[in-house]
Amino acid sequence: MRCLTLSVAVLWLSALFGPFVPAGDAAEPDGSGAKSANRSRVVAADVDRLLEASFAKQQVTPAAICDDETFLRRVTLDIVGTVPTPNEITLFGLDSDPLKRAKLVDQLLASPKYGENWGSLFREVIFSRATEERARIGQQKFEDWLAESLNKGRPWNELVTEILTATGNSAEDGRTAFMMAHTGNAEELAGETARIFLGIQLQCANCHDHPTDAWKREQFHELAAYFPRVQVRADLQARPPTFTVASVDISERQEQLRDRTTPEQLFRLLDFDRDGFLTDVDAKKTPRQADRLERLFDRGDNDNDGKISLDEFKAASAQFAAMGNRRSSEHYMADLEHPDQKGTKMQPVFFLSGDKVPFGTSDLDRRGELAAQITSASNPWFSKSFVNRVWGEMLGESFYPIVDDMGPERTAEYPEVLDTLSQAFVQSGYDAKWLIRTIANTQAYQRALGTRQPGDSPPRFAAAVTTRLRSDQIYNATRQALGVTGFVGTVGRNSGGADPMSRYLQRLDPGRVAFFRMFNYDPSTPQDELLGSIPQALFLMNSPLLQSLAGASSSRTMLGGLLADNPDDQDALSELYLRTLSRNPSKAEQKLCEEYIRTGKSRAEAYEDIFWSLLNSSEFVTKH
Amino acid sequence: MLTRHDHLTINRSTVSRRSFLHRMSAGALGMGALSMMDLLSLQAAELRQQGRAMILLWMAGAPSQLETFDPKPNHANGGGTKSIKTSVPGIEIASSWEQTAKIMDDIALIRSMTNKEGNHLRATYQCHTGYIPSGGVKHPGFGSNVAQQLGDPNLELPSVVSVGPTQGAGFLGVDYEPFVVQQPGSLPANVSSPVTQERLQRRLGLFNQLEDNFAIRGGQAASDNQKRLYDKAAGVVLSPQTSAFDISSEPDALKARYGSNDFGKGCLLARRLVEAGVTFVEVRMNGWDTHFDNASRCEDLSRQVDPAMATLITDLKDRGMLDRTTVVWMGEFGRTPRINGRDGRDHFPRVFNVAMAGGGIRGGQVIGSSSPDGMEIADRPVSVPDLLSTFCKSLEIDPNHENMSPLGRPIKIVDGGTPVADLFG
Repeated sequence: MRCLTLSVAVLWLSALFGPFVPAGDAAEPDGSGAKSANRSRVVAADVDRLLEASFAKQQVTPAAICDDETFLRRVTLDIVGTVPTPNEITLFGLDSDPLKRAKLVDQLLASPKYGENWGSLFREVIFSRATEERARIGQQKFEDWLAESLNKGRPWNELVTEILTATGNSAEDGRTAFMMAHTGNAEELAGETARIFLGIQLQCANCHDHPTDAWKREQFHELAAYFPRVQVRADLQARPPTFTVASVDISERQEQLRDRTTPEQLFRLLDFDRDGFLTDVDAKKTPRQADRLERLFDRGDNDNDGKISLDEFKAASAQFAAMGNRRSSEHYMADLEHPDQKGTKMQPVFFLSGDKVPFGTSDLDRRGELAAQITSASNPWFSKSFVNRVWGEMLGESFYPIVDDMGPERTAEYPEVLDTLSQAFVQSGYDAKWLIRTIANTQAYQRALGTRQPGDSPPRFAAAVTTRLRSDQIYNATRQALGVTGFVGTVGRNSGGADPMSRYLQRLDPGRVAFFRMFNYDPSTPQDELLGSIPQALFLMNSPLLQSLAGASSSRTMLGGLLADNPDDQDALSELYLRTLSRNPSKAEQKLCEEYIRTGKSRAEAYEDIFWSLLNSSEFVTKH
Repeated sequence: MLTRHDHLTINRSTVSRRSFLHRMSAGALGMGALSMMDLLSLQAAELRQQGRAMILLWMAGAPSQLETFDPKPNHANGGGTKSIKTSVPGIEIASSWEQTAKIMDDIALIRSMTNKEGNHLRATYQCHTGYIPSGGVKHPGFGSNVAQQLGDPNLELPSVVSVGPTQGAGFLGVDYEPFVVQQPGSLPANVSSPVTQERLQRRLGLFNQLEDNFAIRGGQAASDNQKRLYDKAAGVVLSPQTSAFDISSEPDALKARYGSNDFGKGCLLARRLVEAGVTFVEVRMNGWDTHFDNASRCEDLSRQVDPAMATLITDLKDRGMLDRTTVVWMGEFGRTPRINGRDGRDHFPRVFNVAMAGGGIRGGQVIGSSSPDGMEIADRPVSVPDLLSTFCKSLEIDPNHENMSPLGRPIKIVDGGTPVADLFG
């Protein structure tokens, strides 16, 4: 009996003081096989043909193809997350190669900034909805891993498999981000897995059958049943704080014993010499638990007498109970009428295929099987949801009104285009670069803004739309405009909403963090709900730091140097517009600005005002 | 058929009865779209709501009920904390709360708050939104809901202000996003213009002309929105109302009564903002997560919060504002009655307490009770939805008002819950 119960003690201690985490295998295949550029051209042409046919049927004339300056800024923001330099704009304009746009796309995709930009996007896709906000401490690690993987050209199905099956420490392995963002909570993981990787909003079915889709409450909990053994343990005393994702594979019998065992019983069990304290003497009797007992002494010895009393043991136990992350061997669907009872035991079943996993399956086998089901070539939701998101990110509108809500009872615009792209994406070997290259080379992507009148609602994709830049993009564009590589000191702390994570972000580039706090948004938000905020406007209007960097009185600032180098106003204005808006001013704007300069107090002051107006313009903070 | 966005627009434009009335009086009213009775009842509701506001004193980290308003001096779990008599016979509170004790006539205590969430972030989210966190929906903070219901659309100040970080507006969007003040008492970051007002006006003139050019080039929607946003932001910069953020003009004696610490300044700022028309102000006091040295740390925190809260309530009352301003003191949960090995108290959502004043709340009473050892609710449990419904009743807003989430799912301001009727009248 003592032996059996000891194994329960091991489990209990492991839950409290950290699981054994096997060293992850670091082998990462380099999936950099160059995919056929030819195939990309064919698919891009197919996409445009399908769209043209639909426009013709609707008797709509799509907008013209945009000019080089517009294309260059748009595609640079989309692929590498920044804006082109005045030099790049000039050179691109002068290049007479008819294939220069396609070549530019290839060049940008070869830049390491490509991975950084898309890594930053998916970081926000996951973390914006994190139910454990402290998980943000692991966001940089995740972003770095994803950036590197994307730059290597690793296929999306592999990456998602690794995200879903990750174990280990957040400080060492970025792939743990997703599990940690929801502290291993099976129901949150089920909802978010469906939303992010399948484009299906299943979480409504947590408590009742889905109101508008066909999903049943059982199906939601059968999905959650893939995750009950995921354990995420926060170690906030560690510097830096870390989260550990691990598998807790215990049998139901052990679990029952564990649940029935009180801290008092456990304490007696571990207190071999029966002196009423856990000491080194007791620790030596269970050498396999040395690490965990060591932690118990570190953390639980409140009066620092070198031994653990029953009260201390119970306090540590209560603390653990309060964390509420004790895992179970199987998932139970709560009985809504009797929420304090355990509910119905659910077998893992994948709602899209009906594939099942037997009760008792280990955590990694469960999650591995789920990943296999999700990324299976016969599951169209996986490829469609990725294509829908990438297309939506690049064109500002996805095929569905909401990027992560595809149904099944939702209607896509141009479903045949989405199908074409999704199938080709699967054939490419889930190659994100291939997909982005293909989309960037379509005419649909390269259209000019529509000149729609109020009340018009032109069909999607017949013209470009403005979309709000993400915080990293605004940061990069601002640095480019001001001619600085970074910001020293803080950039103002008056951010919008809740921000309990700031202290964990302090180690990162302070300028980037300041812009993150000010301008970050959830990339799954429809664009027409992203309206900017008063603190954001105030920051760009008045922030002392930006104002000093945007001054003209010193030749050490970008604007001061620009004015010294360009005595002619036409040249100076052109240079200023190229730096901030990546284009030359129109005749009307030129005239407006020259008039402003003429009537202003001094040339320097007038240019400061013009620069201010450009930095605060909607054109600066949007992609178009 | 309405698309989802039509829903949202309609929803947003019916933000408050006040703006509804504004629009009706300009247009349809003349054509008899509303009967006189409709109009009168709308107006009555309107008048009752006029100027309603809430100040939330948020004790971040979860304050010990035993060292605040539910002391147990005669039980081991009381931890040695003494109680003092208050202005209301029979009500005793922890001894550090001397100023509060003097105005207990204006304060109602709930000693039977109970909840299950024992994690700071999750419980903070729940107490602010009325919902437990879910990856699917970003629920609006209660303050944003209140601002959406009651906020004055013509106010040049933001309708929700928080001294210290708080819950965001969630899917209600930027119009109701709390304006966060980090340093109470002086103007918030970036509010004062580095250039003269005259030059700022000139800049805005140029900005507007350049925006018009972008609109012509196809950026109409973005440009219209930007102009509207900058109009509001410039309003904050240029408005005389913005001086409400600066407490320096207040009498020194009053400032001293509130206290010279940030929490005291925050409470004084809250009164000034409500006076200026702001609908919801939160003032945050950190440090209540007393896992060790509970007694001395609570003492230190109480000595800051007690005079500030008492002065705030008195000050509001002196100015005739207390009846329409709901003041709430609370944190995300309570603390374990048993003292732990480090002289601390750990997380305990099962029993905690809340203090309320103003906004139609009848002071001088205690709702519910905890058992003698503090381990259980003895009488009249009050849940988080009950509490938020109570706030709604105090503010005269409808807790069942539904806003459309981005997924087209209607979300009530408070889901379930019954107001604590005894608190009123």
